[in-house]
Amino acid sequence: MEKKRYNMRVSGLGGQGVVTTAHILGSAMDNAGKYASLVPFFGSEKRMAPVEAYVRASTDPIYEVGEVVYPDIIMIYHPQVITHGKSYTMPFYMGLKPNSLVIINTDRDVLEPEDIRVLTELKATVVQFDATELALKIAGTELATNMAMMGMLLGLIKLVSMENIEHAVKERFLGTSFVTSGGTAALDSAIEKKFKKKEKLLSKNMEVISKTFEMADSVDLNSGKLVFQLAV
Amino acid sequence: MSLKYMTPTEQFKKYLPKDYVELVDYGPFGKSQDEAGVNNIGQFKEVLEEHPMCSGCLMAYFIRVFFAALPNPEDTVTLGTAGCGRLAISQAAVPFIYGNYGDQNAMASGLSRAFRLRFPDKKKDVVTLAGDGGTMDIGFSMTMHSWIRGEKFTTIMLDNEVYGNTGGQESGMSPQGAILKMAPEGKKFEKMPATELAKTAGCVYVVRISPTNIKKTAKSIKRAILVAREVGPTFIHVYTSCNIEYSIPTEEVFKDAKDQEKDRFSFEEYMTDEAREVIERIEGEEKKAKKAKKGARKEEVVS
Amino acid sequence: MSQNARPKLEKKIVDAGYLLKEAPRTQQFITGAQAMAEAVKRANVDMAIAYPITPQSEVMHLVGDIYAQGHIKEYYRAEEELGTMSAIAGAARAGVRMFTATSGPGLLRGLEAIASWPGHRIPAVLGVLTRVVNAPLSIQPDNIEIAYLMHCGALVLHAENQQDTFDMTLAAFAIAEKVDVYIPVAVATEGFFVTHAKGYVNTTPEDMALTPIDPTAAPVPAMDNETPPARIQRDAPVQKSNFMSYLIHAVWQQEIWDSNKRSMKYIYEYLGGPIEVQDPEADVFVVASGCAAAQAREAHRYAQEEGLSVGFIKVRSIRPFPVDEIREAVKNAKKLIVPEHNIIGWLCKEVKASIPNSGIVVEGPRVYGGMTLPVELIMAEIYNALGIEHNMKL
Repeated sequence: MEKKRYNMRVSGLGGQGVVTTAHILGSAMDNAGKYASLVPFFGSEKRMAPVEAYVRASTDPIYEVGEVVYPDIIMIYHPQVITHGKSYTMPFYMGLKPNSLVIINTDRDVLEPEDIRVLTELKATVVQFDATELALKIAGTELATNMAMMGMLLGLIKLVSMENIEHAVKERFLGTSFVTSGGTAALDSAIEKKFKKKEKLLSKNMEVISKTFEMADSVDLNSGKLVFQLAV
Repeated sequence: MSLKYMTPTEQFKKYLPKDYVELVDYGPFGKSQDEAGVNNIGQFKEVLEEHPMCSGCLMAYFIRVFFAALPNPEDTVTLGTAGCGRLAISQAAVPFIYGNYGDQNAMASGLSRAFRLRFPDKKKDVVTLAGDGGTMDIGFSMTMHSWIRGEKFTTIMLDNEVYGNTGGQESGMSPQGAILKMAPEGKKFEKMPATELAKTAGCVYVVRISPTNIKKTAKSIKRAILVAREVGPTFIHVYTSCNIEYSIPTEEVFKDAKDQEKDRFSFEEYMTDEAREVIERIEGEEKKAKKAKKGARKEEVVS
Repeated sequence: MSQNARPKLEKKIVDAGYLLKEAPRTQQFITGAQAMAEAVKRANVDMAIAYPITPQSEVMHLVGDIYAQGHIKEYYRAEEELGTMSAIAGAARAGVRMFTATSGPGLLRGLEAIASWPGHRIPAVLGVLTRVVNAPLSIQPDNIEIAYLMHCGALVLHAENQQDTFDMTLAAFAIAEKVDVYIPVAVATEGFFVTHAKGYVNTTPEDMALTPIDPTAAPVPAMDNETPPARIQRDAPVQKSNFMSYLIHAVWQQEIWDSNKRSMKYIYEYLGGPIEVQDPEADVFVVASGCAAAQAREAHRYAQEEGLSVGFIKVRSIRPFPVDEIREAVKNAKKLIVPEHNIIGWLCKEVKASIPNSGIVVEGPRVYGGMTLPVELIMAEIYNALGIEHNMKL
């Protein structure tokens, strides 16, 4: 499903880092010399309330803005988005274009027969894996769930290199004002301590991403198979 | 110095309106209160001479006193809103900004801050003059917040206890029981406690006055303006009766003002310690200067 | 309020022509809110007044940061929007350069003051980050508020993206203060779609700032008791008689709208003109402003890839409205499609009123309530206009 342009919808719950992922994806594309635009969509900003973000990624400049109504990629960060309807778009595949990709973070198969019928008709590929469990196992925190999701996506469609991702993740967590070489000595001890913590966070996040890249290798998007259930 | 800008060259004088030239030559600009103040009204050309207010209007009288009492008329800007007052205020020879409904204290916040930005070494006085409706009803939030923010300018409420300009409707400052338009059964709640609100909101100098004594009135105005320059927001709540809507015969307007002095407009003067310091310092200096002047004159006579 | 305590920044002062057209630029990947604030940073603004409302707040937070860094001399949070807009009117009377921004309901709350800015000759710049105003209330980027704003007398520029937001905001200060204009300029763009989304923006150097405001170069001098002629003329002619009042209001407002028209030459000078035209020979045009222009630009690209005779017109300036330019650009067109982010179709009405054959205008597609405008909807109208069968399953 190689395309010039990917329009993505990312659905999750407040606190899962949905918007953060969208930002990192955007920066990674930028670092790769490609184009990206992103739109966060907040409801009332509450933990566990539905959150959606939209990312457009392309080899050409992007003009259009706003939510992605007709996506080619859908990422679901929490099974409750589907099972409890914690979403702005119901059903979760609403607007999905033919020959598209769906990635779901779940510990079980959440597809109902009706979902399977529609998704088969659309010739979609659905990848289900327990990103939260993976995050807990490798990074020791659920907070890295978004990294696992992003890693899986980029592992599947190979938009950017691992270096581009690492740079983007660094930018997000360390901020551009932190320079890893030189200069750091000048930072006072308080900031330094915080900085070290962040460095650790960064390396754990990168480990999660590497692991999902590996897992993605087992998926063949051109196989015509509807569901890939990956064990963590 | 703004006075310089007002002063035309001799050659240009003859082309200017007579009124303008007379204001420059015989007006209060650049003169002290002793030379051109409330004590010698009639002996200098006042900045306010003509106005379209009702005959016997106490508000018109107060506005005349206000302009004569300005410590620095050539560097003063007044702001106001719709209402009777602005009909006279806008005809004074002092820049007047006529804004939208009740927004005078918001505008003055911007204006006085901008003056301090552009002219950090000059004293530019900013005074809002609005009615009870403009100050305490429609402009209430902007009035209160300018005080809460500690904006350094003077607020004067011309309280005639009614919407005079729109035809006599009840205002928040009308006394309880008053039968007015939009209060056909009489006003059902009390007059708003304006000076209490001012003190609570952070005004550093607050006066409530019925302007029967010119000197006392002028003193309050001057104090309010001088304190606002240095310390913070100042407020004068002044009784300026509406002889039309309250049916006060013209010849009894002053008597009514005197009666009010013992009623809703009993004289009140409040100041914070900081405001008191400024007042004592300035008035002390003035006294000293006067004494020195008197002494010098005496010496002159003796010698 | 001690000025000495404020940080002092050394900047190179340049005129608007150089800053907008010649100054070196570097690319940044920033949100629309950042783009607006970055423009304010370079505009030598004296004073900014803030009041929160979603989605605008981001802009004035950033402007607050800029103030703290010393790029702006004075900044405060006002009580609400009418207080904000009134304070702008007061401060501008003292001859300083002013900026504020608001959104939807905030704009309407402040509209009484904003509608009087042009008549008061307030050359302030107002950021408008659009948002739903009518009930049921929502924070989403419907742009119906521009319909209310466009009849106030102010200039209204409509930014397509983050880059436009930067350029138009910077140009707005220069245009507003031209002696033959001297009225406020509103720079509108869609909330969230632009304000909270990142895009590529080529910005001018941070240490380069626009020439400061010259309060003496004004058709109505600052009320600072410093600028001749001194205002000691004692007349309030508006009150003399009803007929004087009619006359004075009439000539004054005529002058405001003439000033509005006169700004067109500066829109050409600094922004390359009030419209952008792609494929001028096309049969069908998509005419759009703001965010809808971004969607229309994408539709135009799709149409090009499919070899369809489709042109694109972006309207940059809503006031003054480019009546002559649009009439000329579409004189041979067979259909005009006007996609919009509001229910009334204010742009559609303006376009119809600009051409002799308004029957060729397709009313829409329109989305409202702040929903995104899918490019697919514009494509469907293009196929309809060209008589091409389609089954887009929308």
